[in-house]
Amino acid sequence: MKRIAHAIVGGLLVATPLFAEDRPQIAAVNYPLQYFAERLTGDSADVLFPVPEGVDPSFWRPKISDISTMQAADLILLNGAGFATWVDRVSLPRSKVVNTSVALSDQFIVTESITHSHGDGGEHSHEGLASYLWLDPTLAAAQAEAVATAIVGKGLAPVDQVAARLTELQADLAELDQAAEAALAGSEGTSIIATHPRYQYLARRYGLSITSLEWEAGAMPTETELAELAEEVADTGATILMWEATPPAEAFEAVEALGLRSVVFEPLASVANGGSFTEAFSAAVKELSAALNGAPGN
Amino acid sequence: MAHKLVVFASVDCEVVTVEAKFSNGRVAQAGEVRVLDGENTLLTTLALSKDGTAKVPLDSVDATGGLVIEVDTGGHDNYWIVTPDDIARNCGS
Repeated sequence: MKRIAHAIVGGLLVATPLFAEDRPQIAAVNYPLQYFAERLTGDSADVLFPVPEGVDPSFWRPKISDISTMQAADLILLNGAGFATWVDRVSLPRSKVVNTSVALSDQFIVTESITHSHGDGGEHSHEGLASYLWLDPTLAAAQAEAVATAIVGKGLAPVDQVAARLTELQADLAELDQAAEAALAGSEGTSIIATHPRYQYLARRYGLSITSLEWEAGAMPTETELAELAEEVADTGATILMWEATPPAEAFEAVEALGLRSVVFEPLASVANGGSFTEAFSAAVKELSAALNGAPGN
Repeated sequence: MAHKLVVFASVDCEVVTVEAKFSNGRVAQAGEVRVLDGENTLLTTLALSKDGTAKVPLDSVDATGGLVIEVDTGGHDNYWIVTPDDIARNCGS
């Protein structure tokens, strides 16, 4: 990790910091990037994440004023991998935009293709990319490095301070990774169902077998959805259901009746309810580990 | 999910030019273009031309707070946001 930080310092010492009277503004498209930018800049910059609470930042539709704010920022941090559909519906100044996963494209997970036909276009399929990269802390560390490079490259914070903070942040992420690896070790044979397809990178990193539904976050599942879940349980033998947000208590009871243990694992695209990015990730992994090991849960 | 509708709008001092096509490259030959302001108030509606474009004269709408351009082809819809800075930048000198 130190090597990476030194590389940034070495490579970007030529960058001349430009400090205006007002603090620089950095805009981020999701909470992990906001968290990384805040940790890396300290008090040197304001970091904006304008998506309202309770709105999925993947599918947020910004207002004109939100885009004006973004356009005026000194740096705009994108997640890449198809995250935040709105970025293709506005004009963002190229010189300010940084895609934090551009170096990770060979590690992207291509999601299942959907084949259909309509009109006279014949049968065709669409493929997408899993975009919740940060649920693999090693990829999160790479995104953090891209954020650090962008901050230093734009002269938004002192180089030595950013490098030191990056070392610290990447050490925290490495610790998170090691703890998750230990906590989830031996879970390869256990089938897990998730209420939404968010956990592809988590599953790949820790060898988890996760099948995904398309339920609305935090909502009570319908009878039809519960019937589909029952079929999925029969097919996979799953014993754990991962929720992306806490549903009503009746939802926990309904899935318990199907023999499932519930685990709420926030995918952290939005600000976590349970503390910072690292705290929330750590708590979620512990809860998942406890469920995998048969401890009493929800 | 079907073909995605891709909407793009460019602006100069006089007109917003809207272009709509599908993600497979085919032009959207028909559809409704809705122009809204920052408060989501509908300012005007137009029809897409057969070449997948529509032109919104800036003097026909109050664009001072920016514009939201929505295109609906019936089954597919998408939008583009034009900010006051977009207009100012392209109508500079």
